[in-house]
Amino acid sequence: MIDVESLTIDYGLADRAVQAVERVDFRLEEGRSLALIGPSGCGKTSILFALAGLLSPSNGTIKIGGNPVTGPRREVALILQNAGLLPWKTVWQNANLSLLLAGDYPGHNAGVILDDLGLTEVKSRFPAELSEGMKRRVGIARALSTAPSVLLMDEPLASLDTLTRERIQDLFLTLWQEHRFSLILVTHDIVEAAFLGQEIIVLTKRPAQVKATVINPKMGSLDYRQSEAFQRTVHDLREALER
Amino acid sequence: MKRRITYIEDTIVLVSKSILRFVKSPAMNRVITYIVSIAILLFLWEIASLAVNAINHSRLLPGPYEALSQVVKNTAELQRHFFASAWRLILAILIALAAAIPLGLLIGREHTLNRFISPMIYITYPIPQVAFILFLFLVFGTGSATKVAIVALVLFFQILVSSRGAAQNIDEEHLTSVLSAGATRWQVYWHVILPATLPEILTSVRVSIGLGVAFLYIAETSAALGTGLGTFIKAHMLYARDLAFAGIVAMAILGLVLYVGIDLLEHLLCRWKYVRRRSL
Repeated sequence: MIDVESLTIDYGLADRAVQAVERVDFRLEEGRSLALIGPSGCGKTSILFALAGLLSPSNGTIKIGGNPVTGPRREVALILQNAGLLPWKTVWQNANLSLLLAGDYPGHNAGVILDDLGLTEVKSRFPAELSEGMKRRVGIARALSTAPSVLLMDEPLASLDTLTRERIQDLFLTLWQEHRFSLILVTHDIVEAAFLGQEIIVLTKRPAQVKATVINPKMGSLDYRQSEAFQRTVHDLREALER
Repeated sequence: MKRRITYIEDTIVLVSKSILRFVKSPAMNRVITYIVSIAILLFLWEIASLAVNAINHSRLLPGPYEALSQVVKNTAELQRHFFASAWRLILAILIALAAAIPLGLLIGREHTLNRFISPMIYITYPIPQVAFILFLFLVFGTGSATKVAIVALVLFFQILVSSRGAAQNIDEEHLTSVLSAGATRWQVYWHVILPATLPEILTSVRVSIGLGVAFLYIAETSAALGTGLGTFIKAHMLYARDLAFAGIVAMAILGLVLYVGIDLLEHLLCRWKYVRRRSL
């Protein structure tokens, strides 16, 4: 269970402080998915970084599995906007990086996941030799190598073309259903939020506050995009954002 | 008979295609570029020599042929001086790298350290290090230690400033990526900061080689005796200029060897910089 209570994040000191997030509350049961959507620069990423233990809240609490978040932890994995791959490491080294940092290298898990994601053939290549879609897959392999119980994603598909984006959204959905981790996705893409979020929280402009929560119970199949329920969710989200 | 001719034609086409492919390969391209550049330089040198000697009505500036034949005639002696200079320069580069990289990366990333050390760099960096030569001779004597120290001092500042700048410009996403996986401070330096800054550091070493050779020359010529190309050039400049120019050629070769060496090292350590997107 992820429990966020009255989360407030300020940047800077005292009188020059800028508020990024103001009193945000939400709760996510184990194995469920949540999308945070809001305008660019509203403070969505700050919420995610606080969940990852990279930022300390100025006020409020974040608990994962009942324990307060005080720093990065192994069971929480983060996928960044450009996959966060290190250009000087090969696909294999990038996929194993989290295990290496945790002192668990070599782990067979990354090898299995690379195989599942169709990356075995390119494991000795550098990120610059890969397509954008493949880079995202390596980022996913790295995040899943430690078998996390929580997966955080910060606009993971930004700057991809529509078809590649849809293919990787399908992959996220399949992996989420297979591995049953709790998923929190930060995005400004309505379609992405409607496809991957069981619950979607709409945030205001900076400082981010919860503006509306849209429940999306019918998500979970690859052909959901073609359904009426999907169109309705997209419509509801658009309305909530424009309000 | 006709079949035989076709076979020979095919072989010629195949061989010429292979030669063309080899000539067009990036490695061969570089070698050809170097050969052409050297040929142009030798040609310009010959023209300069003819012009200077014609104006002065004497053999003031030896041509490339005279200098290069002296290189061949005095190989053993030149080799002795070449290796004396080479090890001083390599040792100075290694000392400068060992001292400047850790310090540069630390002050580039640790703000408190940067606040205190940067003013010191700004004050000491513009002081011409050559001003310390006599002082260093007094402290360490006129042996190799002083010559190595002065070159290392010059290179230290170059590498320090560039490694600090490179550390300050690291892509934040790379840092976030390892921090979110729970990396310790040491792991951040080892897995991100050092490899990210290495290309820029090696570029600064490459750029500094010319400066290092120049300061080595100054240090070697400032001492009255000893080995080294600087001493060799100074000893022959007045009365056997063709020999002195043979020494200058050797010094140019030393710079070139180091330059190519750093280039190869960069290709080896920063292989990721030279790859391009490939399809499966």
